[in-house]
Amino acid sequence: MSGSPSLLTTLENHYLPPLARVAHAGHVKRCLSGLPSSQVDLDPGRMAVAFYCLGSLDLLKMVQEKISQTDRESWREWIWEQQTRGKYGSGFRPSPFMAGSMLSEGARYTDYDMPHIIMTYTALLTLAILRDDFSRLDKQGILSFLKACQREDGSFSTVPGSGETDLRTLYCAFVISHLLNDWSGVDADGALSFIASCRSYEGGYGQSAHCEANGGTTYIAMAAIHLAPVTSNPLSPSEIRKTIEWAVHKQHQSGGFCGRTNKLADACYCFWIAGSLKILGAGDLVNSRSLAVFLSSCQFKFGGISKAPGEHPDPYHTYLSLAALSMFPPPLYDNDTNSSSWAFEPLDPLINARKETAEWARSHIAIKE
Amino acid sequence: MTEPTRYADRPEWSDVLPVEQYENANPLAPIFYTNEYKDATNYFRGIIKTGEKSQRVLELTEHIIRLNPAHYTAWQYRYETLLAIDSNLEDELQLMDELAITHLKTYQVWHHRRLLMLKIRKPAAELVFIAKTFKVDAKNYHTWSYRQWLLAYFNDDELWGGELDFVEDLLYADIRNNSAWHHRFFTVFQSGVHDGEENRERVLKRELIYVKQSISLVPNNASAWNYIRGILEHHSIPYSRVTTFVQPYTLSMDEQTADLVDLDNPPPSKGAHLPCAFAIEFFADIYEAEGGDSMLKATELWKSLGNEYDIARKKYWEHRIREGLRAIQT
Repeated sequence: MSGSPSLLTTLENHYLPPLARVAHAGHVKRCLSGLPSSQVDLDPGRMAVAFYCLGSLDLLKMVQEKISQTDRESWREWIWEQQTRGKYGSGFRPSPFMAGSMLSEGARYTDYDMPHIIMTYTALLTLAILRDDFSRLDKQGILSFLKACQREDGSFSTVPGSGETDLRTLYCAFVISHLLNDWSGVDADGALSFIASCRSYEGGYGQSAHCEANGGTTYIAMAAIHLAPVTSNPLSPSEIRKTIEWAVHKQHQSGGFCGRTNKLADACYCFWIAGSLKILGAGDLVNSRSLAVFLSSCQFKFGGISKAPGEHPDPYHTYLSLAALSMFPPPLYDNDTNSSSWAFEPLDPLINARKETAEWARSHIAIKE
Repeated sequence: MTEPTRYADRPEWSDVLPVEQYENANPLAPIFYTNEYKDATNYFRGIIKTGEKSQRVLELTEHIIRLNPAHYTAWQYRYETLLAIDSNLEDELQLMDELAITHLKTYQVWHHRRLLMLKIRKPAAELVFIAKTFKVDAKNYHTWSYRQWLLAYFNDDELWGGELDFVEDLLYADIRNNSAWHHRFFTVFQSGVHDGEENRERVLKRELIYVKQSISLVPNNASAWNYIRGILEHHSIPYSRVTTFVQPYTLSMDEQTADLVDLDNPPPSKGAHLPCAFAIEFFADIYEAEGGDSMLKATELWKSLGNEYDIARKKYWEHRIREGLRAIQT
């Protein structure tokens, strides 16, 4: 934490290389067209990969420019093919990784091909990025699905009946309810007490009760609390203060954020932790110049952003870095060349999408009276 | 290494009709599967269609899991099959020992163990196994979360008995391991009162001495400072209770005056990098809580952090100064 002042002053005014926007768009476009067999572990999470790729293009404002009309249409079709119906309601599956044939009209899913709550959240956002009109969305079915995913302790399973549960799924349920503008599918009070049980003595939140405070789950706790249909913040001013203090201390001298106390900086936490601060109204405490310097050093020479300098890039770290920059564009100085490469449109920090996309999602997904 | 024989070429699988994965003409982020993965998952989809649960299904799902440990449906079907054919779950756990080390960062590996443990109900050996995995990665989130679940779920005094020693070993190896500090807090303060820990005053005193000694050895350690703050807040004790201890850490090495050995207030060790920014921050919090004139002392300390000892967080210290001054004006 302490260190040589001269070094830090230099870093603050550190040269900011251009953000290689076109190269990053190239990286995610390549991933959209296909992933190597070494990444087979993404098979049960392809919808999320699609979201990170198309989301990156959306933040770069390159969806129209880089994706042909034909691709946009057929990709929307691909996403709709993942909407499935069955005994626990409707939602989106990760991909057809368990499907043997095209879903026929009126087909019902089995216990081995159920919709997944994280994939449902990412599918809705991806469809909004592709400006779908959502006329095919089974809104009532999704409400039933959320109900089927919620457990007794207030948390949510990834798929109905599964024991796989943590704060991530709760956040997805909340965003979906928010977009539907209908909270009848969830017990929000139960969910809020589950969030409270994840709070740690450090001021951050763990993935479930008793777990260590972590950046990703703290973002999710903060966003969920602010999305919740309650009139007053369930956190006390001193709790909020403590969370801000915890989060602020995660920014390293390098400008990057680490996800837990005494860990190394990782590009994704520039989103998760700086985003938590933004939600808490403390975004001005983030050093956005050094944040950009750190993220610029995570750029891979052939495009894409990696978790740390010298590592390989992936769509997840690329998207979250661009989303962090959309919330915290760096202050630019006269001697910064290519300063336009760092310009972004604002992000909706609660649902994690460019504001215009978030607005599209809200106005097209909401259940109308 | 030769490729394993494809299921399609194995007579003992000839009765299963493989089911190719459906994919539309222009899919999003398709994965270029290896032939081995394609073949195995074709047969897995075929098996699911008939609902077969048998020994060979265990072989097939193990094969898929080794190729893709995140395949949650293969895990789900494997677990159902184990139960359906009354397979020996302890053998399964042994197989998992190997898979857990290879795929430490895969959620499903640990989730499956949790399901097995709910049936086997022998958590003590699990704690030993987890300790082994920490030799590979002592901060793995899944592993810690599994350990915390085991302890909380089985909640047996015999299990808890070894936790403090276990944490101490880890902190001895790496005093900055925040996962270990967190686990200590969970064990001592957030999981009920365990055997031998009934005298809470004594426990509190012991923990304060433990963390103070740790700070004395390595003052610039955020985990230890968070721990001492956590203990005091948990007991609603004002930070000013440890003023005497903290003060020397806010000074430079030349300004140290301690000449007696005070066990309650161990001084900074020789060679420590002082003043310590965490201590200055802590000291400012003490002044802030006092309010009134002390608030100005707090703002002086925040200024020194923003201008000298923690410049990277200058904006935060300026914010604290503004908030502090606002508090005394109202």
